[in-house]
Amino acid sequence: MHCQTGSWGSYMPTSRNTVGDPLERIERLASENAVVIFSISSCCMCHAIKRLFCGMGVNPTVYELDEDPRGKDMEKALMRLLGTSPAVPVVFIGGKLVGAMDRVMASHINGTLVPLLKEAGALWL
Amino acid sequence: MANHRVGETGLTDSGPSSHHHHHIPYAVLHGMNVPASFIHQEGSAFDFGELEEAIVLQGVKIRNDEAQAPLFTTGRPAATLEMFPSWPMRFQQIEIGSSKSGGESTDSGSAVNTLSSKTENQLEPESPVSKKASSSDHQAFDQKPMQQQLLEMASDISRTGTSQNQSAAKPPQEKRRGSTSEKQLDAKTLRRLAQNREAARKSRLRKKAYVQQLESSRIKLTQLEQDLQRARSEGLFLGGCAGAVGNISSGAATFDMEYARWLEDDQRHMLELRTGLQAQLSDSDLRTIVDSYISHYDEIFRLKGMAAKSDIFHLITGMWTTPAERCFLWMGGFRPSELIKMLISQLEPLTEQQVIGIYRLQHSSQQAEEALTQGHEQLQQSLIDTIAGGPVFDGMQQMAVALGKLANLEGFVRQADNLRQQTLHQLPRILTTRQAARCFLMIGEYYARLRALSSVWISRPRETLISDDHSCQTTTDLQMVQPSQNHFSNF
Repeated sequence: MHCQTGSWGSYMPTSRNTVGDPLERIERLASENAVVIFSISSCCMCHAIKRLFCGMGVNPTVYELDEDPRGKDMEKALMRLLGTSPAVPVVFIGGKLVGAMDRVMASHINGTLVPLLKEAGALWL
Repeated sequence: MANHRVGETGLTDSGPSSHHHHHIPYAVLHGMNVPASFIHQEGSAFDFGELEEAIVLQGVKIRNDEAQAPLFTTGRPAATLEMFPSWPMRFQQIEIGSSKSGGESTDSGSAVNTLSSKTENQLEPESPVSKKASSSDHQAFDQKPMQQQLLEMASDISRTGTSQNQSAAKPPQEKRRGSTSEKQLDAKTLRRLAQNREAARKSRLRKKAYVQQLESSRIKLTQLEQDLQRARSEGLFLGGCAGAVGNISSGAATFDMEYARWLEDDQRHMLELRTGLQAQLSDSDLRTIVDSYISHYDEIFRLKGMAAKSDIFHLITGMWTTPAERCFLWMGGFRPSELIKMLISQLEPLTEQQVIGIYRLQHSSQQAEEALTQGHEQLQQSLIDTIAGGPVFDGMQQMAVALGKLANLEGFVRQADNLRQQTLHQLPRILTTRQAARCFLMIGEYYARLRALSSVWISRPRETLISDDHSCQTTTDLQMVQPSQNHFSNF
């Protein structure tokens, strides 16, 4: 597992019991697949972001926080991470945080999203 | 021809005439044996007197011109044309009985003479009237039944009249049917009776037609007022005059004003771009102008973001834009892929790299638009389900849920604006400075033309619209186009 604390922005890791640490869990889950989306099943913007990736031919791994027992904690952690609400949707590509919907769309328009996906092995062309 | 004075009706307002019905003057006028006192000239019945006068006078004039022409056929049309209430009151005397010349009754003769002299100075054309009788033997009526009625009516009236001696003298004269002059008189009065009725009928018809015209004009007026109100509310003044319409939120009104100001700035920027391109400025100078135009668009996206917080419906329904723009609205603004499509054809010549870049931009934009549209559709479906409620609608609870879902609309409009902003930012990265300047000028001009088209459309003459709708309707002229058929219905 690579330590990606640098990419978390202003987050400072604490030396407490990390078993139940939501952020650690997020980090761990994010690195397990090329494209990871944290979502809530009833969220329409999450639906939009899923459609975006599927439309591009990418098969993202989606974690529905409302269906996870520790979802609430993770949601709060994500909110702290992003600095804004809502916490979802949030996208990780290649284990690295890309951001929420606006960041993802911006990167798609300015042409940086596709290379990132290719680099992570989510797209072949 | 017997030179006897034609029957004239002496009109006075004395005696019991004031309460007589309209019909009575008719009978009185044409009954020949009626004393002048019972013929009144008051306001309610003066029409008939004047009609009588006019018919007689006109008929006389025509009679004089065409000696043998029957008054009935030639006189009446001309006479009725001159029937106007504004005519001054005229007095008219009826020669009572043809016996004047014969001198059968000295009483009646003297009475009539007295009467005639009394009103003589008020009667204008006395001589033509007198001449009328001279050629009055062309009547085709069956006058006898009429005469009987008139006689009875006249005799009834005469019984109550003041000039008893006059009236008493008349009936006997009437009953004599021997002389042709009497027949002529009967015919004349009957003719007058008919002409009066005809004139009154035409007068009533004219009045009815006038009232109908007024009614339809009134309806037309209210319709025009409604159309004007609607046109005004749909951005007749380029979406700037938000104050012209009621029921607009303060956030929306604020944004409309800011947008109007932005449009003025837009014109200024476009002028700058145009002159910059024509003046062949250096790339760095042109770049400054291009960058300022992008900041100009950044500004409107910022304003829209604030407006989305206060009144999302105003933004998403495009009430801040002109109707033509609203027609092509996507998520509260323009569709980036459509804009690029419009630009591609006009941006030649492009290098291969640029072509690839532009098409990639268009493609990415389309994908993003599709994703947002699908997300928005899911939001709509979810909202529908919440409002429908299912078997049990738990009022407050479900309303709260619906409100929460509705709040997501703001997010979608913001993401759409974000997409637009990113697209505009990307263009100068693909194109040269000069190409970018031309590109932004094209964008500005395109939307300016679209707004102008909207204004022209709204202010085009509406008569064609109304007449087109009329031709499709089977209703009478009095019914007007319903408001729902107006092309500019709000959505």
